[in-house]
Amino acid sequence: MGSITRRQLTNLLGALGVTATLGGLAFGLPAVDRALPAQRPVRSDEPYVIGGGVSVVPPPGATIDVTGTRPGDDQGTVLFRLGPVRYAVVVRPFAGDLASAAEGLRRRITGTSGYQVTGAQLAVNTIDGLAGLQGSYAAPGRGGRYAVFVVEGLTIEVTISGADLDLGRTLPRIEASTRTLRHDGEAQ
Amino acid sequence: MTSSVVRPATAEARPSVLAREPAFWVLITLVGAGAVRMSEIAGRFLAAYPVATLTAVVLFALLAVPFWLFVSELDFLEREPTGLLVVAFAWGGLVATTVSIPASAALDDLVAKLGSPHLAADWGAALAGPAVEETAKTLGVVAVVLIARAQVNSVLDGIVYGAVVGLGFQIVEDVVFALGAVSLAGQGDQVRPVVATFLLRGFLSGVWSHTLFGALAGAGIGYLVVRRDRRPGRRIGVAVLAVLGAWASHVFWNSPLFTDGLGNGGLALLGVLLLKGMPPLLGILLLVRHVHDREADYYVGQLATIGDPELITPGELAVLGSGSRRSAARRHAAAHAGRQAQAAVRRLQRAQARLAVELSRAAARPAGSGRADGFWRDEIRRQRAVLVELGHPDAVTGPATWRHTASTAGTVAVAVAVLWVALSALGGS
Repeated sequence: MGSITRRQLTNLLGALGVTATLGGLAFGLPAVDRALPAQRPVRSDEPYVIGGGVSVVPPPGATIDVTGTRPGDDQGTVLFRLGPVRYAVVVRPFAGDLASAAEGLRRRITGTSGYQVTGAQLAVNTIDGLAGLQGSYAAPGRGGRYAVFVVEGLTIEVTISGADLDLGRTLPRIEASTRTLRHDGEAQ
Repeated sequence: MTSSVVRPATAEARPSVLAREPAFWVLITLVGAGAVRMSEIAGRFLAAYPVATLTAVVLFALLAVPFWLFVSELDFLEREPTGLLVVAFAWGGLVATTVSIPASAALDDLVAKLGSPHLAADWGAALAGPAVEETAKTLGVVAVVLIARAQVNSVLDGIVYGAVVGLGFQIVEDVVFALGAVSLAGQGDQVRPVVATFLLRGFLSGVWSHTLFGALAGAGIGYLVVRRDRRPGRRIGVAVLAVLGAWASHVFWNSPLFTDGLGNGGLALLGVLLLKGMPPLLGILLLVRHVHDREADYYVGQLATIGDPELITPGELAVLGSGSRRSAARRHAAAHAGRQAQAAVRRLQRAQARLAVELSRAAARPAGSGRADGFWRDEIRRQRAVLVELGHPDAVTGPATWRHTASTAGTVAVAVAVLWVALSALGGS
C-alpha cells in the first residue's frame, strides 16, 4: 500500500471541488428555494389575469404560490393556495374540442400513480357563459376536482386538490371563483 | 514549430493508468449516480409511454450521429481515446442532466420569488437554465482534465470534449422534453408530440444548442490547461470568458427577445432562429476553425520533417490538415482508381495522422525511451503499395467533378425541403 502523493492529493481535491459544486447545484439551490416563502397575498375583489386573455377572480382567503404561477401572453398558469388546498388554473393553446380536452386532462390525472377519476362528468358554466365539463378524482389521502373549458383556440384547465375535510371546507369558495373565469377575446 | 499550441502526451491513455487518479473513481461514482437517477426517469416514461419513449430514443440517437461524425472529423489528426469520449458523453447525458433538473427548477422558482412570476415566465428559462447547465457541463470537461490531463493537449481537444459533453446533455434533454410533451398532450402513448419535439428541438434548434455552447466552454478549459506559456491570470481570464460566452449564447437563445418581433408563419420562425442562432454559431465555428488549423499546422509540420515521399508526399502534406481536402482526396481516388483506392487513401491518411502524433510524442518523451512509430510507418508503406498497384500513388485532391457538385446541390435541396416542412408544421404558413 503506497502513500498518497502530492499530485494525487491535488487530484482528489479537484475532484471533490467538482463534486461539491455539483452538490451545491443539485441540493443547495433547492434548499435555498425551499427556505424562501412562495406565497403572496392576492386580492379577491378583482380578476387575476392568467394568460391568453383569460382571467379569474381569486377566492377569498387565497394566496398565490409564485412557484406555480407563470403568466404569459398566449398561455399561463396560476396556482392559488387556500391553506393546504391547491387550486390551479392552466391556460394553453389547444386545437381540439371540449370532449378531447377533458379526455386529455383525465388521462394526465390518472397517469399519476394512485390517482383515479371518480363519478360522472358533468356540464358546468361560468358566469360569463363559458361552457365546460367537470368531474372529480381521488388519490391516497387526497381528493380532487377538475374542470375544463375550451374557448377560441385555448383550453382552460382547473384542478383542485387537498384532503377531503379541507376540500369540503373550501370547495364552495373555489367553485364560486371558477365560475368567474372569463376570456376577454384577445391575448394580453 | 508552434509547440505551445500542442502539448503532446507521452503515451496513450490506458484505463489502468486512469484508475490511479482519485478523480477517476469520483467520476465513476458520479456517472453511476447519474445513471441510476436517469434510469428511474426513463423507466417511468417507458412504463407509461413505451412506443413514444422508444421513438424518442431512436430519433434523438440518430440525431447524435451527424454531430458525432462532425466532431470525429474535427478530431481526425489526434484522436481522443474513445473511452474518454464516452465518459464525456455520459457526463453530459447522465450527470449534468441529473443535476440540472432540480437546480434549474429551483433557480426558476427563485427568480419568481425574488423577482415576480411575470419575470420568471418571461426570463426564467433564460436566467435559470443556462446558469445551471453551462456550469454542470463545463465541470464535465474539468473532470476529463482531472482524470486524463495529458490527453487534453490542445485547445481543440478541449473543444472536442466540451462538444461531446454538450451532445450527451442535448440528446438526453431532448428525449426528456419529447416525453414531457407526450405527457402534456394527454393523448396516451402517441408519437406525434415526439416528432414535433424532434423537428423543433432536434432539427431546427439542434445546431445551435448544447453541443455548440459546450464546445466554446471546452475551448476555454483547453486553453487554461494547454497554454502554459501564458500567464496564469490570462489563462484563467480566457477560460472564464469562454464559459461566460457559452452562458451568454445560451441566455440569448432562451431569452424572449425577438420572439414576437418578426410576425407569424414559417419565414418568421426561420428569421428568429437565424437571428438568435447564427451569431454564436458563426463565432464559435470561426474559433473552432482557427484552433483546428493551428493544430493541423503543428502535426503536418511534424510530418514535413520526415522528408520521405514514401511516407508523405508534398501534395499529401497540403491535404492532410484539412477535413474537406482529405475528403476530396478520397473522392478523387474513388473516381480515378475505384473504391479500393478510396479505402486505401482513408487508411493512409489515418496512418499518416497517427505517425504525426507518434512523432510529437517521441519528441516529448525523455531521450532513449524508445519509439512507437514503426507500426504506422509500416502501415503507410502498405497502403502506399496498394495505391501504387492501383495506379493512384499520390493521395491528393483532383479537379471538382460534376457528380460531387450535383450531390452537394441535391443534399442542400433536400435539407431546404425538410427545413421548410418542419417550419410549416411548427410555425404555420
